[in-house]
Amino acid sequence: MDGVHDLGGREGFGPILGKGDERPFRFDWEMRAFGLAQAAAGDANWSIDWFRHCRELIVPAEYLTRPYFDQWVVTIAAQMIDAGYLTLEELDAGKSAFVRQPGYPPETAEEARAYVQSARSYALDSEAPPLFVVGDAVRAKSMGHPGHTRLPSYARGRRGSVIGHHGAHVLPDASAAGTPRGEHLYTIGFAASELWPEAHDSCDQVFVDLWESYLERI
Amino acid sequence: MTSFDSRRISSIHHDLHQHLPSESVLRTKALESLLVEKGLIDPAAMDAWIEMYRDEIGPKRGAKVVARAWRDPSFKRDLLENATAAIEQFGFAGHGTGHLQAVENTSEIHNLVVCTLCSCYPFSILGIPPAWYKSNEYRARAVREPRAVLSEFGVEIPPTVEVRVWDSTSERRYLVIPQQPNGVESWSQEQLAELVSRNSMIGTQRDLSPTRRQA
Repeated sequence: MDGVHDLGGREGFGPILGKGDERPFRFDWEMRAFGLAQAAAGDANWSIDWFRHCRELIVPAEYLTRPYFDQWVVTIAAQMIDAGYLTLEELDAGKSAFVRQPGYPPETAEEARAYVQSARSYALDSEAPPLFVVGDAVRAKSMGHPGHTRLPSYARGRRGSVIGHHGAHVLPDASAAGTPRGEHLYTIGFAASELWPEAHDSCDQVFVDLWESYLERI
Repeated sequence: MTSFDSRRISSIHHDLHQHLPSESVLRTKALESLLVEKGLIDPAAMDAWIEMYRDEIGPKRGAKVVARAWRDPSFKRDLLENATAAIEQFGFAGHGTGHLQAVENTSEIHNLVVCTLCSCYPFSILGIPPAWYKSNEYRARAVREPRAVLSEFGVEIPPTVEVRVWDSTSERRYLVIPQQPNGVESWSQEQLAELVSRNSMIGTQRDLSPTRRQA
């Protein structure tokens, strides 16, 4: 998606603030917002990719200016309205207009603790043999995906090489659209000089994890 | 049911933009109370999430892993080969570390981690990412001018050292293994862990020597 969230390499941003701040949450509401977003019930087919996509679709001016955890709250609100658990009228009134929805049980404290301790795998079988091997020269496709995608715009059309193959993983583009499937995932190394005009004499590199359908052979 | 419809979500966001109170505190409170009232949040689950990430899970976990890697070359090999499996023996495997990749700083290489598209981070070993990691400024600049960003953090990288930026676009998450400073060879693993900062495991700190720390 060609949205404002795709920030890599955008210019005009100022210094990074709060570098020495070690607190996990700076304000009480951030803590509540985090807990709320994590503990909220969702549809059975909820996925992290759908959450990311909904966050990417926040009104652009708001995406760039509102606090981070505030974006989580807004995203959860939008998802709940979309799925029919919540209405705008209820948010306006601050009062629930209908009773509990037993079909969508919320997470319990035990489930929350179990979730945090399980190293959830996103590996997913694919019957297709991998198209690339480590060492191959590749080009990231110049077109992104109109919905959710994890191909950042700065990498599009740029040449790199395969430095790792990780088997097949859930393809975010499909998962965010409700149809999860596995696709081969690679780490692609790009020379900074291939990505940025001002880095023409640089030895630095940028590594990006990219799925097979994002790539073409050179 | 979830629509998976981008246009519908955009339209809801525009409505929310006009209807939600503008203060984050009020927005959060409004949504929390409604969802609890509707039975869509169990307050005990919410408290559990907060307690875990406020009190239990944080960068001290990553620091323990790094100190062990400094002391035990075979553990370091395992960590570099399959970090998800290697951190299991500490009981640290979990949230955001299902596909953990460790990358090692050397005299020739400095590693820096960012997520330009959102805020991906290895939660179960580093805790909640710092606010600056999630900021637009860091996300925009780290891939394009990593040396300038590092310089703002007080880290000057000589031209002979290659900077490697890892953009976390997938569920693969990164842990930087910083270099062990000189002069701490006799230290215990626990003492070494005290030296390892959160920023050094993201890559925005390079020198962990104790003298620098006191300065």
